[in-house]
Amino acid sequence: MAGLIARWRGQHTAFKADESYYTAGQLALIKARFLRNTTGVVAGGLLGLLVLMGFFAPFFSPNAPGIEGANPDYRRGAPQSIQFCDADGCSLRPFTYTYVKEVPKLDLSSLAGGDLNALDALTSGDSLSASSQNRFIEQTDQRRYLQFWVQGWEYSLFKVEWLGIDIRSDRHLFGVDQGQIHLFGTDEDGKDVFSRTLHAIWVTISIALVALAVKLFVSLLVGGISGYCGGKVDAVLMSITEAVRVIPPIPVYLACAVALSQIDLTPVQRYFAIAVVIGALDFAALGRRLRTHILTERNQDYVLAARLSGASSSRIIWRHLVPSFSSYIIVDTLINFPYVILAETSLSFLGLGLTEPVNSLGVLLQKAQDPDIQQNMVWQFAPVGVFVLLIMAFVFVGDALRDAADPYSERKR
Amino acid sequence: MLAFLSDTWLLWLLLATAALLWSRSRRSQLFHYIFNRYLLALGTLLLVSAIVFSLMEVLPGDCAEKMIAYKNTQGEVITEAQLAAERARMGLDKPLPVRWANWVFDLGTKGDLGFSCSKRQSVNAALGDRFWLSFGFCIAGLIFAYLIAVPFGIVSAWSLNKPWLDRKAHHSPVRRVRNSLGLILAKLADLQLRLLSYLGLALPNFLLALSIILLYVFAGEPTPTGLFSDAWRSEPWFAETGFQWGKLQDFLGHIWLPILVIGWAATALQLQTVRALVVDESNKLYVEAARARGIDGMRLWTRYPVRHSISPLFNSVGFDYQRIFNDLPIVAVVIGLTDAAALLIEALAMTNDQELAAGILFLVALVVISMNFITDVVLAVVDPRVRNSVMNGGGH
Repeated sequence: MAGLIARWRGQHTAFKADESYYTAGQLALIKARFLRNTTGVVAGGLLGLLVLMGFFAPFFSPNAPGIEGANPDYRRGAPQSIQFCDADGCSLRPFTYTYVKEVPKLDLSSLAGGDLNALDALTSGDSLSASSQNRFIEQTDQRRYLQFWVQGWEYSLFKVEWLGIDIRSDRHLFGVDQGQIHLFGTDEDGKDVFSRTLHAIWVTISIALVALAVKLFVSLLVGGISGYCGGKVDAVLMSITEAVRVIPPIPVYLACAVALSQIDLTPVQRYFAIAVVIGALDFAALGRRLRTHILTERNQDYVLAARLSGASSSRIIWRHLVPSFSSYIIVDTLINFPYVILAETSLSFLGLGLTEPVNSLGVLLQKAQDPDIQQNMVWQFAPVGVFVLLIMAFVFVGDALRDAADPYSERKR
Repeated sequence: MLAFLSDTWLLWLLLATAALLWSRSRRSQLFHYIFNRYLLALGTLLLVSAIVFSLMEVLPGDCAEKMIAYKNTQGEVITEAQLAAERARMGLDKPLPVRWANWVFDLGTKGDLGFSCSKRQSVNAALGDRFWLSFGFCIAGLIFAYLIAVPFGIVSAWSLNKPWLDRKAHHSPVRRVRNSLGLILAKLADLQLRLLSYLGLALPNFLLALSIILLYVFAGEPTPTGLFSDAWRSEPWFAETGFQWGKLQDFLGHIWLPILVIGWAATALQLQTVRALVVDESNKLYVEAARARGIDGMRLWTRYPVRHSISPLFNSVGFDYQRIFNDLPIVAVVIGLTDAAALLIEALAMTNDQELAAGILFLVALVVISMNFITDVVLAVVDPRVRNSVMNGGGH
């Protein structure tokens, strides 16, 4: 690791001494400064790994995330640990143990006389609850060995519908030689929590992507028009932006989500509608920045030159003014990623965003509210850890990018 | 006459303030600026009311339907004609702009926020003290955030580009050791606090609240949800024996949780803002110039970059309040609070009570706008940079 960092550092100094430093574009400079930030690079690597695992979730997950991949013989099962060594010696191939379901012994003899009180005691007692009906005992003398590159359920690895590309595969990174493996345990239907978490990552990120794209579009529209036209248009648009800015957004999302829940939508449409709503209402900050930038830039000589050569207003905005601001826009978009994800989770948490069968991190986090899970299935909190990791990685990368995008950060060193 | 005045008191108050500011503004540039800000704030409020009111149209159902649904549960059979009559009685058959104008008129003349269908009373009565409770929570969370974020943000900015050890050759060895210790301490504190604050950003509020409650559950202690424990809930604040200190103690033992939870995320964000602001300022040329004049160390730091970054920070109080209130509803659901934020969630998601939700959202916007107005005015009076720009450029 230290060697790697040293290499990056070396590269950077070479870059700075080089003539190319002074002719490098804004993005190249940002990239060079970003690579010098150790925490940013580490967080970026982690983020890349998570996103990769999310994008190719079917490949990395040993079980199908939906009900079709549920393990009916291992409902409410605890995580199965992977080991190299145990009392019987070590093995290079990691293994986990087999398990048997403990058949709960019900003492029915007291019911024989038709005693209703005994029946009451039995039904209200603990022995019939779901968690005591699903107890599993590990058999430490029978190992199940982990296999890599195993054949499993078929999935489409990469799919672009409108191009007709659909690469299908049935290979998975790992599995076990008998039965199924559940790294994070299973939920009450026997669905694998690990696979669900992996699938949820990409769903959540894609919502954020759609939301940010919409946000970018609306901000560019408002900021661009407002900044370029100026005068009355600017005043009207900016006062609307100001008014939108003071209203707290989550209640507004809530109202829209309630309205959406009245319309009959398929889960996919609903998911995009929520993303669009989250994105469309979040234009205030970026829109204002853009407008200020364009207001100061539009009197520059290059804009005049473009206008004299007959460029239309929209061409000047999109081809000349906005690109001069593109590095800021990219950085701002990346910084906003975690907040959009948080908005989606908040909505799902209240049951108004996405809902079960869909795997999103918000849906998985919503389960943390359930007292049954809090007391009997603590392993279902695993998605919380992954979620925190993902957001932290985003925040660290965003922070490093913000520092890297600031042209003044160079002077002090 | 008296009845007319009491019906329109708010309008007169607003007009009197405007008149006072206007009469002063002819002689003073500052008051001219304040007058402009005042008009701008009122305009923004009007726009906010329009947005909020029309947004509430997306909520399904209306008041008449709810009334009828209620009567249906009472066993009465209702016809379409009766529904239409009910709509006409409530004024719901009029188009949206007319209804909005009526709402704004009632609001602007006597501060009446409308009628809540689900609560069957006026919004003002339904809200009552709850709004002030939420306000208190947010302000407490804000103070909590500022108390932590401002000093530590400054330390964080200070230690950003500093080495871990003092290796300056012209310092005596004792001084070098002392400086190095100070640097290490500052950098460690900075690192810890940044990690904590990132955790505050990454862990959504509801999860934080939930995990604190879970800790209580695992420890077997009674959870600090709600505002009071059962023993004190029905006790009055003032008994025959005087003020009930036990109730206050119980109250404080419960409200720390929402304040901590909403304060944490705000602290995280604020810490980053303070750090960025101070770093920005410390890179400017006037700091370099001061250093060239021989000002050094703490003196340079507190008198130049820190002092200059306080006013933008102060300016953002209004939006910080908005951000904190934004988080409050979900926290209120998890902790089981009964404040305006919980009422807002109830009105939006469960009872679809348009006017109640609109009223609460409008009040939040009102607080944010008034805070922005107040901070603008205070800055114009206090900060010479803002004052100058107001006198020269802003006062046309």
